[in-house]
Amino acid sequence: MTNILKVKLGFVSFMILMVASAYSQNQKLQEEKELELVNFKNIKQVLQEDGLSQSVITKKKKVKAMKVSQEGLDKSRFKYPEEKEFLGFMTEYWLVKNAQLLDWDHEKPEYGLEASFKAMLEKFGFYHKKFKIMLINTPSLVRVSLPGNEREVVLVLSVPFIRSLDLTKLEISLLLLEDFFRFELGYFEKSVTSEKLKKLGGTSFYGTKPDLTLIEETMKNYNNQIYEKGFTFQQQFEVTKKMDSYLKANPELWNSYFRLLGKIERFLKVNSQYKQYIKLYPSPDLQLKWLSPEEKIL
Amino acid sequence: MWIYLLILSSLSLAATKSTDEKLVGVFYFNPIFGHVHQSSLKTSPSLTTIQCSYPVKVIESSKVSAGPEWAYVQVADYKGFILRQYLSEKRPDCFQGRYPKFFDSLNLDLAELYYWGRLYDQYTQGETRVR
Repeated sequence: MTNILKVKLGFVSFMILMVASAYSQNQKLQEEKELELVNFKNIKQVLQEDGLSQSVITKKKKVKAMKVSQEGLDKSRFKYPEEKEFLGFMTEYWLVKNAQLLDWDHEKPEYGLEASFKAMLEKFGFYHKKFKIMLINTPSLVRVSLPGNEREVVLVLSVPFIRSLDLTKLEISLLLLEDFFRFELGYFEKSVTSEKLKKLGGTSFYGTKPDLTLIEETMKNYNNQIYEKGFTFQQQFEVTKKMDSYLKANPELWNSYFRLLGKIERFLKVNSQYKQYIKLYPSPDLQLKWLSPEEKIL
Repeated sequence: MWIYLLILSSLSLAATKSTDEKLVGVFYFNPIFGHVHQSSLKTSPSLTTIQCSYPVKVIESSKVSAGPEWAYVQVADYKGFILRQYLSEKRPDCFQGRYPKFFDSLNLDLAELYYWGRLYDQYTQGETRVR
């Protein structure tokens, strides 16, 4: 009986041991499985098999490209305007800064200049051209053509000057045409474009402060060109000859232009208020001489 | 019955509103700065100053005649007039959008903002035809 009990007890303990051993073996296998999963090489293999590894590389590349593009965008927010765009902007900034001095914020006389000047430009084959005319209520500045935005010229003209000379719509348009040619020849742009603008235009100031002396310098150049420097004899000669060549085909317009220059010349002689004009635009009497047919010596 | 009355009253309200003021659409302001005018005159006082790309509600009203050149608009709480030539259906590519940090560095004061807006009222603008 005791023996039977001993055998039974031995069998039960053997079974317990077996179960425990099997249990512990299963537990290990599970851990091993987990270890295998954690094993990077195996993950890599699984990922490669599923094509996920390639997708990660593509995603990484995409993120990198996005980062580069975002950085580019951030940097572009810190850009100086391109040279031409900068001058168009500066023209408006100059007009705003000199608003009180130029007195352009007032009700304008209706000269019908939009239609008449447009017709004149088209008559001479200037298509797809934009212009802005700003009439100012001061004799301190008679006229100037400034660079505007793309394909555009800003023509500034004094109303007191128009009134004093009692200019007709046609005569005003001829003055504007002369200024348009002056602008097309690029004298003003050349004069106000500094080395600094050529260097900085279109570049980025990312990570630093913008160089505001660029604006100050350009404003100074505008004022200098408009009020002090003006145009040279050579430049005036070229403009006058250009007017001559365009108007020659239309004697009526040519005569109007010739008479207009005479009118201005006589007016300036007796009006000291406009003495600065001759310095800036030399000079109506010379222009008349350049236009006059050469006298033949027999 | 109640639902019928409710629908009827809301319809009549909508009809009254539509005859009075109707939204034509949302347009965007083009120039760098500009003004919403009190009346359809370039020299009329400014109600508020807006800048390029600002969304503007163009409205129509039987009581307001804006004329062909002007649009009757609502900007925030202001109702006034803007020249049609300065409004576009698409969001414009503005200078201050292209060069925001450069533009900010100018630190324009209120007077300058005002005059910049007035500039576009005072220009006589034209463009020759394309050949």
